[in-house]
Amino acid sequence: MYCFDILSLLILLSSFALMANKKSKSYIKSFRIQSLLIAIAAGMMGIKTIIEEGRFDVMVVCLLIIILKVIYIPNILNKTYTKAKYQVEKDFILNIPILILVCCGLVVFSYFSLSTIDGINDGMINVQVVNSISVILIGLFFMISRRKAIGQIIGLLVIENGLFVTAMFSTQGMPFIVDIGIFVDMLTAVMILGIMVFKINEEFESINIDKLNKLKG
Amino acid sequence: MGFFLMVVTIIAILLFIISKKSKIQHIISLSATGLQILIALALTREVMLRGSVNYSFLGGFFYLDSLSIIVLDIVLLIGFMASIFSIGYIETEIRHGVIDSNKLRLYYILMHSFLFTMVFALTVKNMGIMWIAIEATTLASAFLVGFYNNKHSLEAAWKYVIICSVGIAIAMLGITFLHLSSIGVLENAQFLDWVALYNNAESLKSPIVKLAFIFVLVGFGTKAGLAPMHTWLPDAHSQAPSPISALLSGVLLNSAMYGIIRTVAIVNRNLGSSIYTGRLLIVLGLLSMLTAAIFILTQKDYKRLLAYSSIEHMGIIAIAVGIFTPLSIFGALLHIINHSLTKSMLFLATGNILQKYNTKQISKIKGIFKLLPVSGMVFFLGLFAIAGMPPFSIFASEFSIIVSIFSAKKFLVGGAFVILIAIIFAGIAVSLFKMFYVNNQQENLQRGETNIAGTAVIVVLLGIITITGLDIPNGLNDLITQAQSIIIGA
Repeated sequence: MYCFDILSLLILLSSFALMANKKSKSYIKSFRIQSLLIAIAAGMMGIKTIIEEGRFDVMVVCLLIIILKVIYIPNILNKTYTKAKYQVEKDFILNIPILILVCCGLVVFSYFSLSTIDGINDGMINVQVVNSISVILIGLFFMISRRKAIGQIIGLLVIENGLFVTAMFSTQGMPFIVDIGIFVDMLTAVMILGIMVFKINEEFESINIDKLNKLKG
Repeated sequence: MGFFLMVVTIIAILLFIISKKSKIQHIISLSATGLQILIALALTREVMLRGSVNYSFLGGFFYLDSLSIIVLDIVLLIGFMASIFSIGYIETEIRHGVIDSNKLRLYYILMHSFLFTMVFALTVKNMGIMWIAIEATTLASAFLVGFYNNKHSLEAAWKYVIICSVGIAIAMLGITFLHLSSIGVLENAQFLDWVALYNNAESLKSPIVKLAFIFVLVGFGTKAGLAPMHTWLPDAHSQAPSPISALLSGVLLNSAMYGIIRTVAIVNRNLGSSIYTGRLLIVLGLLSMLTAAIFILTQKDYKRLLAYSSIEHMGIIAIAVGIFTPLSIFGALLHIINHSLTKSMLFLATGNILQKYNTKQISKIKGIFKLLPVSGMVFFLGLFAIAGMPPFSIFASEFSIIVSIFSAKKFLVGGAFVILIAIIFAGIAVSLFKMFYVNNQQENLQRGETNIAGTAVIVVLLGIITITGLDIPNGLNDLITQAQSIIIGA
């Protein structure tokens, strides 16, 4: 079971790495690495279920992760990034050391808040769930710490990644059909947001979402 | 039978892609929604006779009971009304050159897929799939919110997708925890099945169920427009084309509220009391009403004002669900119906006003009665209706909710509730009644209604809310009582 602990830790670390990135291009790279780690975890889980229960669904999910999250979605994002050219400006609101410190705080927070809930941990704190909930929180924080539209899309995807690993580590995965549905939704969401980035770029001549401030009150 | 609901939409979308003339597209849209209403009528009958509709096909995937049929009927009814209204509305927009004539197809495809996702959300019993469908409603309506493609609507659409997707993701976490709490209780095939969860609610692990409820409430609450997660709502409602605003406010918010109600039923049954969920729901509900009251008092844009009023009414429903007595649940369900009909009527009426005056600013509109005799009158009466005046139906449901709050001995909540309703009524009166003042130096706008069919629709809606305000039909009463016993578990 230790390998899952280590993998969940690596996934958490990859979201720290994402937080430390400066350029939109490297956000996409970090996201790709994170998804790859999740695919590895899902693959191991898949092999386990094939041996123990003879079910193939987790393995299929693993393949879908590789196709969608490791290959296809990062490619879409790269395309969006290169088409919506804009001048380089400072993307984050706080500086990186402070961002990382806040992330550490988030991990501690989720550790302590989950340790009080019995049912998730039977006597011992379930590190995997703590790590994956932290990934969700870091994803949320990433969204508010970046100004560009691409950063928000990545943040959303990291949240989805966190949800997926939470489900996988705490319940051995959601029912198969639900997983498939989530993938379909996520894929459409990325496409829609990608198109919107183009339109925003055309209309506002920037994808800095600070400029979206006309509607108030 | 029930599957035809979805098949009809899929066929309609395919036909939209093939068809070229706009007239044919209007006919397809009308007949699709009309057909769906007929199917819904048959399904309603079946539910009333047998309590639920569940086909064994695809592992019992399709499921309807009296709770879902109520919300489903509203979806289809308002969908039909909106598609009648859309014909005149979009034609006028095209004539004015606001949108391109070839965008009609896109509009219809998106609108029907939006309806499709909502029907889907209401006809499944697997909570996971319900979540997927609710997330899909955001995606289907994203481009409808941003349909005009200008700065404001793009901003609204971006906020809408981002805020709702994040909110819904949090609801997914809640559903994951609900799933976790049921492991060891349910069998593999029953995972996340609402009926199974509900029947075995007592044996779920309470601490995790509690945790799950918070996440589901915040998640679906975002989509339902509960404060403080409501920020997308005024933007989206005010920027979308008016028939879509009617759908967003009258239908979409209900679907999210439906998700909350389903979860509340499980959680309360598991905990054996409604104190835990009640506190959270009442606090969020009062906060929503307060937020709405403040923003309505100072509002300058009439579509935004109506959007804030939707937040208020969602708050009222949340409070009623939080009280969780038979009377309050009855009131909540009745309020869902009444609010949807009244609010979509008002949004459709604003469509006519907007196209006549070409502005959303309250201060620039004078003398509606003169220019738009029918829609003006409906809008005027509708404002009384939405503020909870008799004889309209919202009065009946708000009254039963107030009675239920006081009879549950929650005097503080009841007092705050009544005061906030009064403030909101004053706010609506102060801000919006200016629009009806007559201005002698009338600008050179043409008199008379343009969208005849659309105006007929809002008159029909006004008729419905007046009649149901005077007397609830027996069939509806039975249906709501059935749904109420599903939620409370009597």
